[in-house]
Amino acid sequence: MEMEPVGRYYDGLVAARRYVTFALTRDAAPAELIIADRDTREEIDRWPVDALFEVTGLGDELRLGATGRPYGARLRVPAGEWNTALREAIPGLGRRAQLERGQQRRVLGIAVAALASVIAAYVFGVPVLADSVTPLVPPTWETRLGEGARMQIEGMLSNGVGFQACGSEFSQANRAIDRFAASVMAETGSPFTPRVTVVRSPLTNAFALPGGQVYYFSGLLERTETADEFAGVLAHELGHVVHRHGMEMLIESSATGLLVGFVLGDMTNLSVAAAAGATLIDSRFSREAEHEADAFAGAAGNRLGFSPLALATLLERIAADNTMSRTLALLNTHPLTDERRAALEAFEVAPTTTRPAFSEAEWQAIKAMC
Amino acid sequence: MFGDARISRVPAKFTGTRAELFWRLVRGYLLMFPTLGLYRFWVTTVKRQFYWHNTSIDGDALEYTGTPLQLLIGFLIALAVFLPLYIVFFYLSTQVGAVVMVGYGIVATLFWFLFGYASYRGRDFRLSRTLWRGIRFDQKGNAWVYATRQFLWSLLVVVTAGLAYPFMSADLWRYRYSNTWYGDRQFSFTGSWRTIAGPFYRAYAVAAVSAVAVAIRFVASGPETAILLLLAIPVGFACFFYYRARESSRMFSEVHLGAARLRVEIKARALALQFAAYSGMLVVAFVIIGLVGFLVTLVIQGQFDFTSLAGIARAGWIGVALALGGYLVSLATLGLMAEVYLDCGYWMLVARGATITGLESLSTVRAGDEDKALAGEGLADALNVGSF
Repeated sequence: MEMEPVGRYYDGLVAARRYVTFALTRDAAPAELIIADRDTREEIDRWPVDALFEVTGLGDELRLGATGRPYGARLRVPAGEWNTALREAIPGLGRRAQLERGQQRRVLGIAVAALASVIAAYVFGVPVLADSVTPLVPPTWETRLGEGARMQIEGMLSNGVGFQACGSEFSQANRAIDRFAASVMAETGSPFTPRVTVVRSPLTNAFALPGGQVYYFSGLLERTETADEFAGVLAHELGHVVHRHGMEMLIESSATGLLVGFVLGDMTNLSVAAAAGATLIDSRFSREAEHEADAFAGAAGNRLGFSPLALATLLERIAADNTMSRTLALLNTHPLTDERRAALEAFEVAPTTTRPAFSEAEWQAIKAMC
Repeated sequence: MFGDARISRVPAKFTGTRAELFWRLVRGYLLMFPTLGLYRFWVTTVKRQFYWHNTSIDGDALEYTGTPLQLLIGFLIALAVFLPLYIVFFYLSTQVGAVVMVGYGIVATLFWFLFGYASYRGRDFRLSRTLWRGIRFDQKGNAWVYATRQFLWSLLVVVTAGLAYPFMSADLWRYRYSNTWYGDRQFSFTGSWRTIAGPFYRAYAVAAVSAVAVAIRFVASGPETAILLLLAIPVGFACFFYYRARESSRMFSEVHLGAARLRVEIKARALALQFAAYSGMLVVAFVIIGLVGFLVTLVIQGQFDFTSLAGIARAGWIGVALALGGYLVSLATLGLMAEVYLDCGYWMLVARGATITGLESLSTVRAGDEDKALAGEGLADALNVGSF
C-alpha cells in the first residue's frame, strides 16, 4: 500500500488541479472527509460524509462530489487500495448510488408503462377514432383524394406504354360491370359513384381507391373461373368504398406513424424503420377492413344472387399458385384465413332474385375483354 | 514534466477501446427491446460517458454530467413542436395537386431550418454538461440566429453548386466557437474561408472533373464506361477523405481559448483506413446475420405444413416475426458499426491528434454563471441530429 492516500482535487471555482491527500474524521459528528494539499499539508476543505455523492467515473476510479459545494468540486481517487478503503469507510456512498439507480429504474419503468398504455389505447382506440372521424370527412374531399390517387396509379400502371383499360366504354362487358356495380351500391346510401376499370396487367390483384374507383387486373381475370368469383371480388372491393376504408386507413396510418415515430425516437419519420413498423401495425386494421368488406359482399350476394364463397375459392386458387409469397401473405392486403373462410361460408347465398349477377353471355364478354 | 512553460505542448489522450464501446452499446440495444425504445436516452448517456471520461488533457479527464432523464424530458417537450407539424402532414396527405408539392416544400424547409436550431441547442446541452478540472463549458449565442445563418448559407451553397461552402463553414465555425465558453473565458476562432479554400476547391475540382468524365463516357456508352466508373468512385472517396481530414485539422487548429491554442492533425489516410475497417466489418457482420437467418429459416420451415390454410397462416406470422427481427438486427448492426468504427474512430483521431499550447494560462479560469435553462436536447433527438 502506498504511504498515504493521494487524489486529484478540483474546487469547482478555479480551473486548477491540486494533488491532495485525505483522511476521514471519526471523532467529529457528523464525520468529515478532510482534504489537504499533498505537498504543503495545508487543509483545503472538509466535506461532511453525509453530503458526499459518487459521480460516474472511468473504470474503478472513484469520483466524489459534495452537496453544498460548487457544482464542479471533485475529488478523484484512482483505482487502488485507498480507493477500496474509502468506499468501505463510507458505506453510505454505495447506498446512495444504489438509491439513485433504483430511482432511475423506477422512472424508466413508469415511462415504459405509460408508453405501453399509450400503445394499447392506440391499438384499440384509433380504429374507433378513425371509425367516428371518417363520417365527418366531406365525401367531396375523399373523391378528390381518390382522383389524385387514380392519376398516380394509372401513371404507375402505364409502364411507359400508356395506361391500358380493357374494352371500350360502351362494350357489352363494361356495360354489364357498370350495371352490376350500380346495383351493388344501390340502397347503401353511399355518396360515391362506383367506377370499375379492368386493367391490362400481369398482377393477380384487385383494389379500391377512396371515392369509388375500383381496379381489376387482367392477371386476376385470367385466374377467375366463374361469374360468381368475379362478382364476389367486385362486391368486396365496392364494400371498401362504401365503408370508406381508404379514408379510415389514411387516418389510422397517420396516427400509426406518429406512434412509431415516438417509439423509435425519430419524429421526422424519414427512417425506413418507422415505415416498416407502421406497415406492420396497419396490417392489423386492414384485416378488420377485409372482414367488413366480406360482410358487405355477402349481403350483396344475398340480394343479387351470387355466392360469396366463390371469393374464397378464387383466393385459394391464387394462394396455391404462388408459393414464394406465402411467408409474406399476411402482409398482403387480402389475407385468407380459415376464420375468414368460415365467415364467408356463413353468408351462403339465399337468392331473392332469380336473375344471376351476370348472364352467361355477359360473363363470356368479360372473360374475353382483355 | 514540461521543462519550459512557454513552449509546452500538451497532447490530449484517449484511453477507450472499440471493444469497450461495442459491448456497452450491445447491452444498451438489447435493453431497448423490453423498454419499447425508451432506453435510448440511457444509451446516449452511457456512450457520452465513454467518450468524455476516456478523453483527458494533461491527465485530467473530461466529465459528462448529463442524465438520461434530462434527455427524456427534452424529447417530450419536442413532441409538442412536432404534433402540429404532424397534423399539417396529415392534411397534406389528403390533398391533391400543386398544394401538396408547395405544402411539402414548406414543411421540408421548416424541418431544415429547425435542424440548425436543434443542432445548436444539442451542442449547448453537451457543452454545459461537460466539466474539465471542475469547470463547466457553455454555449452562448442564439440558436435562432445560428439556424437562420445556417439556413441562408445553405441556400447560397445550393445556388452556387457548392462553391460557397468554405464561406458557410468558416462563418458557422466562427459563430459556434466565438460563443463557446470555458468557465468565464471565451473561445475565439481565427479561421476564415481561406483556411480551407485550398483543400476544398482542389477536392471539388478533382471530383467535378471525374464526374464530368463519367458523364461524357456515359453518353458515349463505350465499353470503358464501367472501368471509368470504377475509377471515379475511389477518386470521389479519396477527395472526400482528403478534404475532411484537412478541414478538421485546419479548423480545429484555429480554435483559441485566451492564450491557449488547440492544434489538431488528422491524416486522410487514417480516415480512409477507418472507412475500410467499417466496410469490412459490415460485410462480416452481414454474412454472419445472413447465415444465422438462413439456418433459422431452415429449422422453422421443417416444422410447418404448407398444405393447409391454417398452416400457411401460422407460418406467415412466424415469417413476419422473422422478417421484423431480421430487420431490427440489421438496423442495430448498421448503427453499431457506424458508431464503433466511424464515430468512435473520428473521436479517437481528433483526441489523439490534438495538442494544446499555453495550457498553463487556463489555471486562472473561474467558474461561469449557471446555465440551467436547458431541458434536454429535445428537438435534436427528435430530428435525429447526428452528434456524439
